[in-house]
Amino acid sequence: MQKFIADAAEFIPILFQGVVLTIGLTIGSLIISTLLGLVWALMRVSGVWALNGTAKLFVNFIRGIPIIVQLFYIYFVLPDLGITLSAMQAAIIGLGIAYSAYHSENFRAGIEAIDHGQIEAAQSIGMGWWMVMRRVILPQAIRIVLPPYGNIMIMMLKDSSQASTITVAELAMQGKLIASSTFKNTSVFTLVALMYLCMSLPLMALVTYLEKRFSSGQR
Amino acid sequence: MIHLQDVHKSFGSNHVLRGFSMAITKGEIVCIIGPSGSGKSTVLRCINGLETYEGGAIHVNGALVDNKAKSIVAIRQNVSMVFQRFNLFPHRNVLDNVTEGPVFVKGEDAASAQRRGRELLARVGLSDKESAYPRQLSGGQQQRVAIARALAMEPEAILFDEPTSALDPELVGEVLSVMRDLAKDGMTMIIVTHEIAFAREVADRVIFMDQGVIVEQGPARSTLAHPAHPRTQDFLRRVTHPIDAE
Repeated sequence: MQKFIADAAEFIPILFQGVVLTIGLTIGSLIISTLLGLVWALMRVSGVWALNGTAKLFVNFIRGIPIIVQLFYIYFVLPDLGITLSAMQAAIIGLGIAYSAYHSENFRAGIEAIDHGQIEAAQSIGMGWWMVMRRVILPQAIRIVLPPYGNIMIMMLKDSSQASTITVAELAMQGKLIASSTFKNTSVFTLVALMYLCMSLPLMALVTYLEKRFSSGQR
Repeated sequence: MIHLQDVHKSFGSNHVLRGFSMAITKGEIVCIIGPSGSGKSTVLRCINGLETYEGGAIHVNGALVDNKAKSIVAIRQNVSMVFQRFNLFPHRNVLDNVTEGPVFVKGEDAASAQRRGRELLARVGLSDKESAYPRQLSGGQQQRVAIARALAMEPEAILFDEPTSALDPELVGEVLSVMRDLAKDGMTMIIVTHEIAFAREVADRVIFMDQGVIVEQGPARSTLAHPAHPRTQDFLRRVTHPIDAE
């Protein structure tokens, strides 16, 4: 234990640089994946054949390729097409696109769970499609979508470690680097695991809190 | 004001409206009665474009009802609808339900919409409920809010789709009494209902529908008292004396 504490004091500052990148990656790709996922979901429920088909194709395409291959593609193949991204940019975009597929299915399920009478009531006071979504459907769908959204968020935090494969020195990568140079595997990976827990446990608490908040005051 | 001419509508192989025609003049109150599945609700839903129709034409103040066209928005604002299951917005309180349309569809400023909203809530007897949420209200109260929401759009006509069918019997009266007041104020109303007594009292005209067509129509009082067609007679006997008819 004495030794572990000494190791911790030594390694935590270095690992912390990894934590900063992990958080940056997660927030960046969360924003991209949420916005993109919303776009796919709205295309799916638009009732326009071409939009629905395009979104469906794209989502299945993304879901059918491992995240790690998508990251390789963006980081190593796009430069051949004249698009050069930093490892961090590539990782954020890659994870963002990969996870937009999961968000999209979640959002679509939430939207479709809203009683059709709500759409009719909104239309009957003259709302167009977009306003029906914004004022009536989406605010109600949030409640349904939130618990799975929180779970996807936690998965993203953990999957941000895949960015290490394209040289982003996030938490897992930092841990591996320290472990391979000091051979203190136990101390280092215990610390890495604890640091991931320190980030994901508050997220889980946040999801629980939001679930409670959104379920009170209505229905 | 509202004209339907030879309207046809099918759901798959189910031919719901088979050449339905009627004309409603401004200020007229028409009750549509008939057995379930006869197409009564479909008529209302076609008038404000919640359903498409395949044949014939529907005009509101001369404008063709086509729910793919931009003009449908103006028609819907002018012809409001009250639903069987109320369909209030559960995430907004009572006053916000009423002001939603005026503020976000018509662009009225919030203060004046709220002032009008409170007047409308007073008119339906719910002044004390403006900050309640729909789930906290009884069915009758919810339906009265839905009527206030429809009125907030300042429509020329309101379509009522079985407004009391989802209510407990003791709550029917409060909704009918609000509708009666509207009728006195000269609102144009098309009401699909099973409340025969109410139709007799309030309606100018009663339309009896069966299998997608009008079987019989005429002034409410005389038509309901002395229906000419056997199917109307049979239907009225069933709804007014449900036990004897068995």
